Amino acid sequence: MEPVSAFVNLYNNFFFIALPYIAVIVFLVGTIYRYRSTSFGFSSLSSQFLEGKKLFWGSIPFHIGILVVFLGHLTAFLLPKETLLWNSEPIRLIALEVTGFIFGLSVLFGLVSLFIRRISNARLRVVTSKMDIIVELLLIAVVILGCWIALGYRWGSSWFAADLSPYLWSIVKLSPQIDAVSAMPVVIKLHIILAFIIMLLFPFTRLVHFLVAPLHYIVRPYQKVVWNWDRKAIRDPNTPWSPTPPKNN
Amino acid sequence: MKKQNFQLIGRNNNKGLNFCALFFIVVSVLIIGNSVCYAAEADQHEGAQYFNQVCSACHTINGGRLVGPDLVNVQERRSDEWLGQFIKSSQTLIQSGDPQAVAVFEEFNSMVMPDAPFTDEQITAIIGYIEVASGGGEETVGDGSEDAVDPEVLSEEAALIETGAASIEKDIILGQNLFQGKIRLQNGGPSCISCHHVKNDAVIGGGILARELTTVFSRMGEPGVRAILGSSPFPVMQQAYLNKSLTDEEIFAIVSFLEQADRDHMFQQPRDYGVKLAGTGVVGLMVLLGVYSVLWRNRKTKPVNKSIFDRQGKSQ
Repeated sequence: MEPVSAFVNLYNNFFFIALPYIAVIVFLVGTIYRYRSTSFGFSSLSSQFLEGKKLFWGSIPFHIGILVVFLGHLTAFLLPKETLLWNSEPIRLIALEVTGFIFGLSVLFGLVSLFIRRISNARLRVVTSKMDIIVELLLIAVVILGCWIALGYRWGSSWFAADLSPYLWSIVKLSPQIDAVSAMPVVIKLHIILAFIIMLLFPFTRLVHFLVAPLHYIVRPYQKVVWNWDRKAIRDPNTPWSPTPPKNN
Repeated sequence: MKKQNFQLIGRNNNKGLNFCALFFIVVSVLIIGNSVCYAAEADQHEGAQYFNQVCSACHTINGGRLVGPDLVNVQERRSDEWLGQFIKSSQTLIQSGDPQAVAVFEEFNSMVMPDAPFTDEQITAIIGYIEVASGGGEETVGDGSEDAVDPEVLSEEAALIETGAASIEKDIILGQNLFQGKIRLQNGGPSCISCHHVKNDAVIGGGILARELTTVFSRMGEPGVRAILGSSPFPVMQQAYLNKSLTDEEIFAIVSFLEQADRDHMFQQPRDYGVKLAGTGVVGLMVLLGVYSVLWRNRKTKPVNKSIFDRQGKSQ
């Protein structure tokens, strides 16, 4: 029994203490290095011009879903007390969990659509790297586990706030407390481990576009698009150049 | 002590001491003997006190299994040294791979026995008390039947059990509300349904991260349930209630509710949340996809700058 017990300890220490720190360091250093060295490559390399119709059923469900699910995890991590307070009313708890699960399914639907699109379209295969496939498969795995947890270990918003938020904070405070997370079911542990692995690979994938999301689009002024109505007259070399601004649309 | 007494008397007789000397020695021996007996009794009393404060929530001595094993005659199965190590830190012994410790751990549903903050002397006193209460010590307590445990030190437990059995409706309702979170726990801990399910019509379906508690009262009895609520041996629960322990009133109310839930579970027909949650998720996804296709209908069928192209076309 001794080697098994020692192995379990080693495994817990590695995956829940060492891996998070490795992931955070690689994430920070790798992201900064990549941004400084290949600024123009710091994007998702959009394939919208290559294929647009299937993209809709992948991109929209995935992006909207992941935003909601990610914000949900972030809220329970940053505001555990408030999350528990919200969940103290059973109806609110059910509403939160059902909403999270629906958007989790949205993420899964979008990811599977994106994956099928990427491997079935000849144009896209040309611009697809191995890392694109790896990160997509990792995301699918982590989302399947997340949906499994939502159903199989329900009311995750409450136990995340009560147990995993303190664990993550203990990592932040450089004083890891892994007793609770070590005692969690394997499915939950795998979900956490895969999330750290995605964070580790983050700087080397197309996911970096998340950090340069054009959030200023939401608050920027409208772009002015100006042209002349009478294009024939413009093309006519006899038309004199007008010093006054043309009529806008 | 008697053996020692006889030896001393015999040796004194052999040396031909006179009557006064003999009297003096006998009196001395009696005084010393009594002192040692008092010390042993004090140790036993101390051991009994610790046992009932901490251990009796999960263990009995000849009273059957609770959360942990019945400790009657445990010295016949394990050495004092092993018992000392296990009491001090059961997990350390289990994690070191000790086969006996691992076997006990697995036999009792992998329930972690929390490390008790006892000194070596206190642990020795507890082990001594267990031996005495089992009937194997110098002074037997009872005849090994169910009242082998000192009735005096268990009187408080018994009183609480009696009180628990007579739980009134008010406590049960309070327990329901605390269990499902309608009334928040005073120290801010998460409600029980975060992780536990109870088959009961009065509460919503609970979580399934941890064990279902419908028949926990039958499985562990009131002392076991109270012990876990008061000082949980499970790491996940320990973390959840770290610095947010339940008050005595809350524990009493929740235990009352669990007792009622256990008693009446055959007549309960709660909803099946698992299937409904999955179904709601699928239906919700369909609705969501519909919403996406309406909100972003232009993006679905047209390029982003189609309206601009169209306007340009009109002008030509």
